[in-house]
Amino acid sequence: MNLILTNNGSYPRIGETPELQVLRRTIAQWERKEKADEDLREAERVMVRAAIREQVEAGLDVVTDGQIGWYDPVSHLAGRLEGVKINGLLRFFDTNFYFRQPVVKGTIRWRSPQLAEAFRFASTVSSKPVKAVMTGPYTMARFSIVEEEKYRSLPALVEAMSEALAEEVGALAAGGAEFIQIDEPAIVKYPNDLPILKTALDRLVSRKGKARLGLMTYFGDATPLWEPLQALPVDLLGVDFTYSPKLVDRIEGGGASKPLTLGLVDGRNTRLEGEAELIRPLERMLPKLPADGNQLGPSCGLEYLPRDRAFQKLQNMARLSAGLRGQKRGGAK
Amino acid sequence: MSREKLQKLGIDLPLFPTTTVGSFPKPENLMQARGKFARGVLTAAELEKLEREATEFWIRTQEQIGIDVLVDGEQYRGDMVAYFAEHVKGFQVSGLVRSYGNRYYHKPIVVSEIDWSRPVTVSWWQFAQSLTAKPVKGMLTGPYTVMDWSFNEYYPDRKATCFALARGIRVEVEALIEAGAKIIQIDEPAVSVRPEELPIAIEAMHMVTDGLPAYFITHICYGAFENIYPGMLETPVENFDLEMSNSNLDLLELFKRHPFTKDISFGVVDVHSHLLEDLDTVKKRLKEAAAVIPPEAIWVDPDCGLKTRSVDEAIGKMRLVVEAARSLR
Repeated sequence: MNLILTNNGSYPRIGETPELQVLRRTIAQWERKEKADEDLREAERVMVRAAIREQVEAGLDVVTDGQIGWYDPVSHLAGRLEGVKINGLLRFFDTNFYFRQPVVKGTIRWRSPQLAEAFRFASTVSSKPVKAVMTGPYTMARFSIVEEEKYRSLPALVEAMSEALAEEVGALAAGGAEFIQIDEPAIVKYPNDLPILKTALDRLVSRKGKARLGLMTYFGDATPLWEPLQALPVDLLGVDFTYSPKLVDRIEGGGASKPLTLGLVDGRNTRLEGEAELIRPLERMLPKLPADGNQLGPSCGLEYLPRDRAFQKLQNMARLSAGLRGQKRGGAK
Repeated sequence: MSREKLQKLGIDLPLFPTTTVGSFPKPENLMQARGKFARGVLTAAELEKLEREATEFWIRTQEQIGIDVLVDGEQYRGDMVAYFAEHVKGFQVSGLVRSYGNRYYHKPIVVSEIDWSRPVTVSWWQFAQSLTAKPVKGMLTGPYTVMDWSFNEYYPDRKATCFALARGIRVEVEALIEAGAKIIQIDEPAVSVRPEELPIAIEAMHMVTDGLPAYFITHICYGAFENIYPGMLETPVENFDLEMSNSNLDLLELFKRHPFTKDISFGVVDVHSHLLEDLDTVKKRLKEAAAVIPPEAIWVDPDCGLKTRSVDEAIGKMRLVVEAARSLR
């Protein structure tokens, strides 16, 4: 059985050395108009290279661009849509991180690709395949303030958001993205909205081309909605096991109908996982999963951790799972 | 009503007492000095001299404006959690973590048993109180919030971490009382984030305050209050300091449905706007508060700490608070 080691989203964009603080410095200078747009882009590229280098060095099979250019998981995409303005800060779920809230003021229209260029650059500087990660239309809609009358109902707003984001998926697929991950953390808070999410995902799937489209959930327990989650039209299903401890039993008992993105590495706490948290659950679940395509990675983006710990977490994951991966591949340890 | 408790503590306050939430902006020379200290080109003693000067400036300023219950202004603190983590055994300061946009902070890590045997804030409180005859609040961050804003590598879970911190913060509270503090504010801005953990936060506050002779305030801001109200009223404090203006006084609707049973420090100016509200707007907010909450239970202050404003803006906002309160006495 193959187990793909991945990052599942962001990677810290700052470190403790002056070299690793170039983006913070450049943004501050850019805000004071001391640096040009191109300086900002170059600082982002420096940090994307650093993020990818560290992910590869840690032993990942599939990396991300670290979402280095994202202001936050919500406004980065929503703020570029026609009809949407960006408002004040709101706490992102139960993290210590804040995002800017979108305000829907008019008809939502997609303008141009926002992620394809970042994906292209990351692919050119990475020796490993790059996973494109984007926040999904349901979560984006859930976090939006609606002022436009025709989007007063959530399904209508999600539909409009999904039409716009389907264009992003299409652009990524056309750019050669092999893995596209749609983050929908909000769905585990509102399980009754699964039909709305399904309709939205249908629209994204229709544009994915040859890419494998994954759904990632986090910051909530996926166990109560495990059956309907598996019925969603995606190639991979991602779960945050730090919030879903009982799901290990459930999967050990009943398996899973599609490959999983196993978020077993706690992306929210610095303590390094031991075999009990990482290897024992894998040993119980892997035999019950589809043979190929399962991913092992952090429970969420890694930006909630300081840089050194994010790296150590990935390295630790690779080290602990090496035996398991070798054993499964070779048939004997 | 908690007037009686204040009187027993020897504190007599006018109707609509005025106060502030805790932090004030640091003057430019102090900001530069903090940078130099971090780079190792300024000694701790040199930095402290400037911190004391800035503290004295803010005490004088509050007196001059006519604030009734003062704060030391937290000129010696970086942020509300890391400051304590830097001074309490059991914490390690981590690398930088992003809080939003281009803002980063050092999120502490609990790496061993919390040992709060030495008070952290008492000498600063004593210094501030020595400069004025008006009461100065003791200012602490609550156990639930310190837990929520720290990584944990030592305790088995969030509850155990929170309670260990509560035991430590009680030591700090006892030391402040011993030093003479009669009003102590214990901030819990994180408390509304996980409503299911409200009982943990309340139990922790019992561990901190039960049986101690002080008037306790807790400040909560930027949360989904509808998820924790009215349950939060069970928190064993006399006064809730709440951000009201930033949310257009929405909470008053909640208070109409479930009466607010404690004293309130009612935020009448928005601290995240550079603009100074006009006096009529601020008075209107206060009148609306007094229509829902008994006037003798209302204190008046800004929504939150003023440290993100300029010195002039902070002073302007405080003047508004005082003028509005005085006009309605």
